[in-house]
Amino acid sequence: MKMKALEELADLSNTVFNPAMKSWKEKGNQVVGFFCSYVPEEILYAADILPYRVRPTGCAETTSADVYLSHVNCTYVRSCLQFALEGRYKFLDGLVFCNSCDHVRRLYDLWRETTDHPPFTYLIQVPHMSSAEAVAFYRDDIANFKENVEKSYGVQITEDSLNNAIKVYNETRSLLRKLYELRRGESPPLTGAESLKVVLAGTAAPKDQYNQLLKRLLAELGERRGISDYRARLMIVGSLYDDPAHTQIIEDLGGLVVTDTLCFGSRYFWEPVENGHDSLLSLAKSYLNRPSCARMTDALVERGDFVGEMAEKFKVDGVVFQRIRYCDLWGGELFYLRGRLRELGIPLLSLEREYALGGAGQLRTRVQAFLERIGG
Amino acid sequence: MAEKRNLVKDTSDQYVAIRDHVAEKYPEQRWRYEAIANYYERVSKAKQRGEELAWVNFATIPEVFWAMDVIPISMDGMSGMAASSPEGASEYIDLAEEHIPDYICATNKISMGAVMAGAMPVPDMLVHPSAPCDSALTAYPLMAEHFGIPYFCIDVPYFRDERCYQYLTGELRRLISFLEERTKRKLDIDKLKQVMEYSNRAHEYKQKVNQLMQAVPCPIRSIDIILDFNAVTCLAGTPELVDYLETRYEITKDKVSKKQGHLAQENFRLLWVYAMPVFDWSLYSWLEHEYGAISISALNVFDVNPTEDISDTDKILRGMAEKVTAVPMLRECGGPWEYYINRLLGLCRDYKADAAVFGGHIGCKHTWAIAKLIKDRLYDELGIPTLTIEMDVFDPRVASLDTVKAKLDDFFELILRK
Repeated sequence: MKMKALEELADLSNTVFNPAMKSWKEKGNQVVGFFCSYVPEEILYAADILPYRVRPTGCAETTSADVYLSHVNCTYVRSCLQFALEGRYKFLDGLVFCNSCDHVRRLYDLWRETTDHPPFTYLIQVPHMSSAEAVAFYRDDIANFKENVEKSYGVQITEDSLNNAIKVYNETRSLLRKLYELRRGESPPLTGAESLKVVLAGTAAPKDQYNQLLKRLLAELGERRGISDYRARLMIVGSLYDDPAHTQIIEDLGGLVVTDTLCFGSRYFWEPVENGHDSLLSLAKSYLNRPSCARMTDALVERGDFVGEMAEKFKVDGVVFQRIRYCDLWGGELFYLRGRLRELGIPLLSLEREYALGGAGQLRTRVQAFLERIGG
Repeated sequence: MAEKRNLVKDTSDQYVAIRDHVAEKYPEQRWRYEAIANYYERVSKAKQRGEELAWVNFATIPEVFWAMDVIPISMDGMSGMAASSPEGASEYIDLAEEHIPDYICATNKISMGAVMAGAMPVPDMLVHPSAPCDSALTAYPLMAEHFGIPYFCIDVPYFRDERCYQYLTGELRRLISFLEERTKRKLDIDKLKQVMEYSNRAHEYKQKVNQLMQAVPCPIRSIDIILDFNAVTCLAGTPELVDYLETRYEITKDKVSKKQGHLAQENFRLLWVYAMPVFDWSLYSWLEHEYGAISISALNVFDVNPTEDISDTDKILRGMAEKVTAVPMLRECGGPWEYYINRLLGLCRDYKADAAVFGGHIGCKHTWAIAKLIKDRLYDELGIPTLTIEMDVFDPRVASLDTVKAKLDDFFELILRK
């Protein structure tokens, strides 16, 4: 019996080296890992390379990585290094970092120094603002990146292939937005945990195949009974978040996650790339101007606006702000966001967590108390 | 109820008291505190005089501000002085931690907490570079937004190359526009040239002093590293810094020519490969007297090439762009780790270090991430042992002076045993 699209997508999200990647590699194709939503995947796609956003899925301990990294380094990065040292990313034919944050940029150093890293281990410089000068700088940087991809993999990335990549990726964005639109209703057809799995799958599968799955999913969801027995509609905000099991705990208590402003969520696809005559410039403009990460220093207020807009659009009853401990960027952001949400009259639950799911009991207690507080 | 502190005035009073005390007891040493005490006096009276204050972080070059007649004040310098005062700075750290996570860098927490407590005035503007750390990157826009202060971030690329310098030249142009808009004054190119002349002369002296500091025995006191850092951070581009460093150079040259070291018996030449604690400056004289351990250099030693061509604004800004990336810590920590380790290897060789201390400031996640790489490389390549101390530069509650000393005791014992 044919699997439902949602099951297939979930399958793609819950392992490091998923069936789609295996099949891609078996055909002699290449997979390049990347670490941040500011890496313009379209360039890799245009080179017939599968971009895979590196996740240490299921990493439960970081003993080997902790030889190098300190307890003040975030557990996402420690988990990634752990898996790298264990050889769990051997299937990768290249790696692309960017100066996302202090932790990730040091992972670039450690990966090069402590592992048998692929020859193509590259860092893209992402400006911390979206001024015209920053866009021009970033455009040049991704042009260099494109040239290096061409040289390293013996491919040519033409303007046509880039335009096509942007088209395919924009289709993904459009399909994911449709999926999110379905969650705006009173009875969303899927849970937050399911939705997260769907987005995660898209960061680890060829986009054409993924788009087909998304279309099937949208069709199937039309026939699915909506969820109406929830206590409160919630939105998840904050740092890197890729653990559906974490969402599941929140939802098991009656909270329904209906939207987010996460880089493994809406921020990944919310705005399409407006393609003009210079596709690299279009990518640069789009990546720097879309709803941003807390690393962007000139967009604090805009990030607050985006949270407010999403809260209103999805009629949320409360915001769950989560951050991985030792993330300065999102840790600081909470100070501002708390005030904004207070002004908007939206209750907030702030959770500090580690990459691996732990302290489930404490999480349940906090969520339970929050749901009671907001009257759910 | 305790009287509300005024950190700017307290810092000024602290330096003035030290200067006057030294002037009375050791008049020949007055120069050490003259420039910095005068500077803080000016800062403390700036509002009365109608002068504009820009709060900057340590990695923001001050020259542009002096050229625009805006007084730059390093928030980190203020944090350091607050931390080393008898009252310490923990009340501000605690206050800030009610709003931001405990793991944000203490210097940012002190600044934020002090403004919240009304112990620091709200400045006219806030300026900082985007490197070298996320803590400043998050704290500055938050403070600007919360206190309603005009804000500017100099975006610094990750790699140092021509593209970086061109981009930074543009960033400095944007900064000038920002300052012009805030002050309603246009940049005076002649003033900028004069500031750059002073800056160049000061940095030439600093580089000469650095050369002399490499002598065995080391001609300067350990604490002078911190004094010089504070002076250059605030005063680069002023004639006062030229005088200070010229005097430093002449005295040091004389000592080196006479083969005089600061210590009669120099047992250890220590290199601080990351932060130096500032919550209690007595640590350094303790090291000198207890172990004959002189701190010969540190990551925070300025070593900036003068800007050769200062004939027009474009060339000056291009030179300044390189200077932005040459500021200690931004220089080592704002890019790939090779920038860091290569600098350290050079320092260890040039200054003939025989032991290193990694003052692991708890707020600096980016350096902790490579602490082991650094330690291993210094040992493998140069045979230099490194002591790693987990501490907070500003907050003795993380590791007290006694704890730091105990770690150093063990370290020296281990070295001596070998």
